[in-house]
Amino acid sequence: MFRTRVLPALLGAAIVMTALTLLIAAAGKPLGESFQIILQGATGYPRTDAYGPADAWDAVLHDMTLLLLTGLAVAVALQAGLFNIGAAGQLLVGALAAAWAGALQGVPSGVHLPAALLAGAAAGALWAFIPVWLKVRRGAHEVISTIMFNYIALYLTHWLVTERLKDPAGDAPQTAVIAEAARLPLLREDFLQASWGLGIAVLIALGLWLTLYRTVWGYETRATGANRDAADAAGVPTARRMIEAMLVSGALAGLAGAIEVCGTQYRFFEGFPGEYGFDGIAVALLAGNHPALALLSAWLMSALRSGAYHLHAETGAPKEIAVVVQAVLILYVAAVYLRKRRVEG
Amino acid sequence: MSDIFDGQLFGAAIRQATPLILAALGGLMSERVGVINIGLEGKILMGAFAAALGALLTGSPLIGLACAILVGLTLALLHAVATQEWRTDHIVSGVAINLLALGLSTYLFRQIIVPREEAGETSVVNMFPPMSLGGLENLPILNALFKDQSWLTLFALALPFILLGLLTRTRWGLRVYAVGNDSIKARTMGVPVKRMRYLGVLWSGVFASMAGAFLVLAATGQFRENMSAGRGFIALAALIFGRWHPLGAAGAALGFGFFEALQMRLQGQPVFGMQLPTDLLLMLPYLLTVIALMGLLGKMKPPSDLGN
Repeated sequence: MFRTRVLPALLGAAIVMTALTLLIAAAGKPLGESFQIILQGATGYPRTDAYGPADAWDAVLHDMTLLLLTGLAVAVALQAGLFNIGAAGQLLVGALAAAWAGALQGVPSGVHLPAALLAGAAAGALWAFIPVWLKVRRGAHEVISTIMFNYIALYLTHWLVTERLKDPAGDAPQTAVIAEAARLPLLREDFLQASWGLGIAVLIALGLWLTLYRTVWGYETRATGANRDAADAAGVPTARRMIEAMLVSGALAGLAGAIEVCGTQYRFFEGFPGEYGFDGIAVALLAGNHPALALLSAWLMSALRSGAYHLHAETGAPKEIAVVVQAVLILYVAAVYLRKRRVEG
Repeated sequence: MSDIFDGQLFGAAIRQATPLILAALGGLMSERVGVINIGLEGKILMGAFAAALGALLTGSPLIGLACAILVGLTLALLHAVATQEWRTDHIVSGVAINLLALGLSTYLFRQIIVPREEAGETSVVNMFPPMSLGGLENLPILNALFKDQSWLTLFALALPFILLGLLTRTRWGLRVYAVGNDSIKARTMGVPVKRMRYLGVLWSGVFASMAGAFLVLAATGQFRENMSAGRGFIALAALIFGRWHPLGAAGAALGFGFFEALQMRLQGQPVFGMQLPTDLLLMLPYLLTVIALMGLLGKMKPPSDLGN
């Protein structure tokens, strides 16, 4: 237990702290003070007049909502043995679809919000379908096709938001503001970003946990990911399970985009932050693809991010410190926990 | 129409294609020995930064290029060690390397180059001078295509033929084929599989970072945040579209470079009285690759031991 679980975790924490220390020191910032500022950005303590827990948790919970959903998206696909690098593109098309549906006139106000969220999820699922179909039918590597679909999504949404779905009321490349009825309420009145989308994300995480570990479907999906040939031989319809898992994956990434639109931005715009989709990879890997642990890793990544951004705001240290630390963490986790089992040496 | 499709356009296409050819052939060196390499993007970006820094500090583009190659080799070594020694999933390692390169290059740029700019110093480096064609300047086609190109472009155009020769005509090439298609059989036949893989991945670092160096030392003259702008992934698309063949990959890269040049030319310029959406042109390489993956353009067959 100690050697296989505790020691690697401690070593990982030590490596992350070392990387952080090096990056802060190389930026020429005082260490003690910087760590205090990072802590403040992540938790709100020690509080000051300008920045308190409400500011910190607003930022952290907002990021956590998106990272949890994209992390779950990557995790559920990986459980079925598929690497969904395309969460970024699925998030973008989901966000644009939600912004379009949310701005529609004449939708009954009671169903406008669910309709917008569903439109986002459906668009994300659709965007994930072709890559998995190519994988199952043609054997094309899903990593390659999801990367291609990321860029297709990037240019397609850019074209749509500048040419076809642009808000006619202004010159800016953005869609019209969505209806009041299509908005998710914020978690607290003094928050600016974090919405009840977090509640949706947490419920989905718990639901996925049960589905993957307590149902036949989940068992068959995990069996497909663990060893497709063995699962095939045992009579599992592996192609179907892969397609279903990827549709769920795309829907979750699309929902992340929809929640960002309905809960925070209220519109789609040029340069919409799709990179949350890539950060989902780190969240999933760190959680070992477990939906419940993803809650923890999504919070951790959001806190790190919020801390680094706060450090940037306060001292001018590059906020990319968070990106570098995240990369180091991915490599470490992959090297220690995710070694490939190989028969040959 | 004729004012769009002139010699200048094709010259620009070759210029746009140069980093794509280099990076795609880098990817080929790695994937032909069975190591998936989606870290090309990161190697281009770090290569560009190292080239800018080296050339800025010494004033010599050649030293800039050497710095780029050194940094590309370092990142490639990380990928090789991660996949071969730590047995990390190739995709995960590639994702981490891309993130690392994006984070580090931006971090270092803000720490080193931005303060210089703010102090009023230039961040524009000495570039490789364009080649002169000498007496060949009178040949209209050659002049249109190769006027003001860098020697790196000529190198990129020659490289696929060199690689084709090496891959099909040498002992090393046969070994690459063996390792990439059945590493276990190759090992029993006495081929040093691990060494072959290390070499392949390291060469990918050299070529991909040269692509980054080209962006700074021959194209723009200075580093900008995330200036690789997805070229590593277009190169990956070219590699697949070209079916892991040196000439195919380079040809696809040239085609994709042509789309980029055409897109730049068409910005704000109507064709047949219509405004062509440039986003759709930029999307074409990716779309074509998906179509190729669908098998509509014949069978796609990657090296069969890829990713193990």
